Amino acid sequence: MSGPPPSGRTDLLRAVPGLKWLLTRRWFQFAVVLPNLAFFYFFLIAGVFGSPVGNRNIIIIFVWILWWFLLIAVMVPFTSRMWCAVCPIPFFGEWYQRRALVSARVGKPGVGRNRMRGLKKRWPKALSNIWFQNIGFLLLCTFSVALLTRPIVSACVLGGLILVATVLHVIYRQRAFCSYVCPISGFLSLYSMTSMIEVRSNDRETCDSCTDKGCLAGGESGWGCPWNVYPSKLDRNNYCGLCMECLKTCAHDNMTIRARPFCSDTLLKGYDEAWKAFIMISLALVYSVTLLGPWGTVKDWANPTESGMWGGFGLYAGSLWVVALLVVPGVFYAASRLGRRLAGATEAPMKEIFLGFSGVLVPLGLMAWIAFSIPLIFVNGSYILNVVSDPMGRGWDLLGTARFPWTPFYPEFVSYIQIPLLFIGLYYALRTGHRFARDRFGGGPAAVRACAPVAILSTAVACGFLWLFVG
Amino acid sequence: MNKRATGAAVFLVLGASAVGGMLLQPSAPPQERRIKMTARQYAFDPPVLRVNKGDTVRLRVTSLDVIHGLYMEAFDFNALIIPDSPYLELSHPSRPDEPAEKVEEIVFVADKTGKFRYRCSHTCGSMHPFMQGELVVAPNRLLGGGVGGLVGLLLAAAFTALRRDRGIP
Repeated sequence: MSGPPPSGRTDLLRAVPGLKWLLTRRWFQFAVVLPNLAFFYFFLIAGVFGSPVGNRNIIIIFVWILWWFLLIAVMVPFTSRMWCAVCPIPFFGEWYQRRALVSARVGKPGVGRNRMRGLKKRWPKALSNIWFQNIGFLLLCTFSVALLTRPIVSACVLGGLILVATVLHVIYRQRAFCSYVCPISGFLSLYSMTSMIEVRSNDRETCDSCTDKGCLAGGESGWGCPWNVYPSKLDRNNYCGLCMECLKTCAHDNMTIRARPFCSDTLLKGYDEAWKAFIMISLALVYSVTLLGPWGTVKDWANPTESGMWGGFGLYAGSLWVVALLVVPGVFYAASRLGRRLAGATEAPMKEIFLGFSGVLVPLGLMAWIAFSIPLIFVNGSYILNVVSDPMGRGWDLLGTARFPWTPFYPEFVSYIQIPLLFIGLYYALRTGHRFARDRFGGGPAAVRACAPVAILSTAVACGFLWLFVG
Repeated sequence: MNKRATGAAVFLVLGASAVGGMLLQPSAPPQERRIKMTARQYAFDPPVLRVNKGDTVRLRVTSLDVIHGLYMEAFDFNALIIPDSPYLELSHPSRPDEPAEKVEEIVFVADKTGKFRYRCSHTCGSMHPFMQGELVVAPNRLLGGGVGGLVGLLLAAAFTALRRDRGIP
């Protein structure tokens, strides 16, 4: 049915024995989500009833140190949005909609050919973007100190997300919550562009001539794409949640999962996506100052419930929002505009140039986030041993590791990992910028001149992170 | 110029920038530095200590509120700082079996260069994991080399892009 994969890609369903069989089992996703859900609920219980000291409570250590590190440094770059496939947050909502945990159902009332429960409303077109996710994530991060250090706050926020997800599943069809509201989903969508796997169709012509459209409409073998994307038209990873339903529903066995080079998707398609890139790089910068920096006053401002410095918090929060939403985009816009002028293409639409160059912040931002996250796990990773033995911080010692002393893991070598990460981020940023300039302005000096301001800006940003980490 | 020569040129630009950045850092003769430091939730004061390689650092630390710790990366000491006590309980992570000794000041020679964090090692409150300061031992060649390397990468990318677009392999 399918020909060879495109250059630089490897069809994993062919290359890895047994993978296709596993991913097309209806029980597979449920089997992965179920233990995840059990852990998640245990974390919520620990957050509510366990120790209020963050580093003695499993919800803080497992969610904000272990899970966060695995998510940003391993899952996103290597397995795209795999987290979305196994995320427990939409579990109850999806169960309500489907009235099934494993099997697919057909018939009316339904969405496509699948039988579904709920009001099944369409998500408003005006909100079909990631602005909600942008603002939601920025809002959560404004209160990040409370979120990252107080178990009860983490439990309330994560529990609240389950509640919102369930309500939205009742009202709206499919995974509207994941696509448009979930604050975690927004940055996963952005950084999944760099990921080294992709779900794509083997042969576009087969899809074009297909009359079944099982990937979209669903059927007895599976659900129509819960993310409401048309799998055969996928050309970026952004909005594919890797649920593998399209592998099960395709009547022509035309969908596959491929390995590909890092940072293969480069084009941002809307201001919402571009602003997500600005917000993320701004947050990486602000977190590196607030959490990893030595400045006590900034920590006091970010932590007003303890310090009582509400005026300082206003300054901190205001600066965060102004930097993320206005300053960074403004500087980037100016650099893009200067590039257009240097290329001698002043008639070119600014939106296209601005969005095209915004793609440089995807690899640079991801690497900055990984570099920020490395010391969290290296320095505080030994708390994992404590909380597996005493998850609630109640004096238990289930595995004999509850009193293992705090032991940073070679913290003096963290810089030697962070610096190469910044080099990798900048390399891919420069490559992304130049590729866009070459496509838009043609090759030669015009392309180099066009991307020079953005390239210099990206280098300055990388140098800024370098200074924070090792300067 | 063929591909190999282009690669060598790029490597040369990157390497020269990094090495240049490292060598630009000045070095100063060693001296003794007496530093009084305070610890409070969730900061050390001074937040940044700047010394030169070879300096002998004599550090006196007092706590202004609760019990804190002071773990210095790469210099193998960890001290417990008890409020209202003139003494610190000093231990060495590489020798976990040795009992902690009571000292009035921590003395160490800054024999490594770069940036090192000193962190609170005794749970002191909600933001305890983020309570840290910085010891910067000059010449900080890692910073100079890093900046040089990043700028070199920019120059090398521009050089490669111009050559490729002219059709030179």
